[in-house]
Amino acid sequence: MRDMHEGITVVLKAEHLGSVLGFPITNSLLMAWAVMLLIIGAAYFFGRSLTLVPGKFQAAIEWAFEGAIAYMTEVLGSERLARRFFPLVASIFIFIAVINELEFFPGVGSIGLVHAAEFLPVLRAPTTDLNFTLALAMISFFTIEVTGIATLGFFKYAGKYVNLKSPIGFTVGLIELVSNLGRLISFSFRLFGNIFAGEVMVLVAGYFLPYFLPAPLMGFEMFIGLIQALVFAMLTLFFIKLAIMDPHEAH
Amino acid sequence: MQQLLSAFGIDWRLLIAQAVNFALVLVALWYFLYKPVLAMMARRQELIAKGVVAAQEAEEKLAHTDTAVMERLQAAETEADTIVAHARESAQSEKARLLKEAEARAAAVAADAEARASEVASRARRESERDIARLSILAAEKILKEKYD
Repeated sequence: MRDMHEGITVVLKAEHLGSVLGFPITNSLLMAWAVMLLIIGAAYFFGRSLTLVPGKFQAAIEWAFEGAIAYMTEVLGSERLARRFFPLVASIFIFIAVINELEFFPGVGSIGLVHAAEFLPVLRAPTTDLNFTLALAMISFFTIEVTGIATLGFFKYAGKYVNLKSPIGFTVGLIELVSNLGRLISFSFRLFGNIFAGEVMVLVAGYFLPYFLPAPLMGFEMFIGLIQALVFAMLTLFFIKLAIMDPHEAH
Repeated sequence: MQQLLSAFGIDWRLLIAQAVNFALVLVALWYFLYKPVLAMMARRQELIAKGVVAAQEAEEKLAHTDTAVMERLQAAETEADTIVAHARESAQSEKARLLKEAEARAAAVAADAEARASEVASRARRESERDIARLSILAAEKILKEKYD
């Protein structure tokens, strides 16, 4: 995305910066690595600084963990399950949230290379790259399906989707199957669309009213970024719940 | 489809790379963040539970010692009471004894004084009787002398 004198250019896909050993390197991949470094580094130093009598920051983190596990226990109906899925759900939230909050950080999207008269930003929020959102959607999807199969057994779980007892049951099962597969698309495009649209909106606002409009919109988009991270994590949680529910108790 | 994929820049290698990225974040956070934080919370909970139990025990112990102290205090009080009563009793009997002794001594002194007084009186009488006899003899001598002279 670039705002040049001739107008606004919106690039749907992450820009290629080059390749290493035939492996493509895009700006969203670079940013993903940078955010990973940040998150893992912060987690490492925070994890080492834990004390039995917590400081304010540690207390806040612990409060969040406790609240999340309590909520997940309520949803999944078992603390054991909540503790098992907490790392996945929390990591989805943290990774997406940090990326979205850094989306408008100075330098992201504005520092770049000029290659063949084309401006290539070095960093691009991975949540505005479908590769990233689709990868997360796939991880979420497979976790949900594998959990369903592991909890209910293959045949019982498959029975949710392939029901030969009655025509209505068969149709319902088919619809369930399609909507289940559709999650891959809804998961990935919801996140991608929301964040990408936010960036485009800020860009357009900057074109119309350069000095005043973008800042409040950026604040709003950062809020949206948090919400989208929460939505992704919560939907994963709810679909896990749906997957482990016994088909006869589901309705 | 191919067009759609290329429009969004979908590349299976990038897909896998991003999935691996997320997996790395998940594992790292698990190891560096969730495990230690949850372990710390569990440890604190355990400590608090232990502390509560210890506090309860201490309270019970305190109550026990309180009653023990009270019992001891009561025992000491009754003992002190009996000791004081004993002392008072013995003091009373000692006083009575001393009084009796003093009375007896006073009586003895009085008797002694009386005896001595009566002895002095009788001696005085004896002496005056002797004086009277001597005086009467002298008077008789004098009268006789005058008669015969």
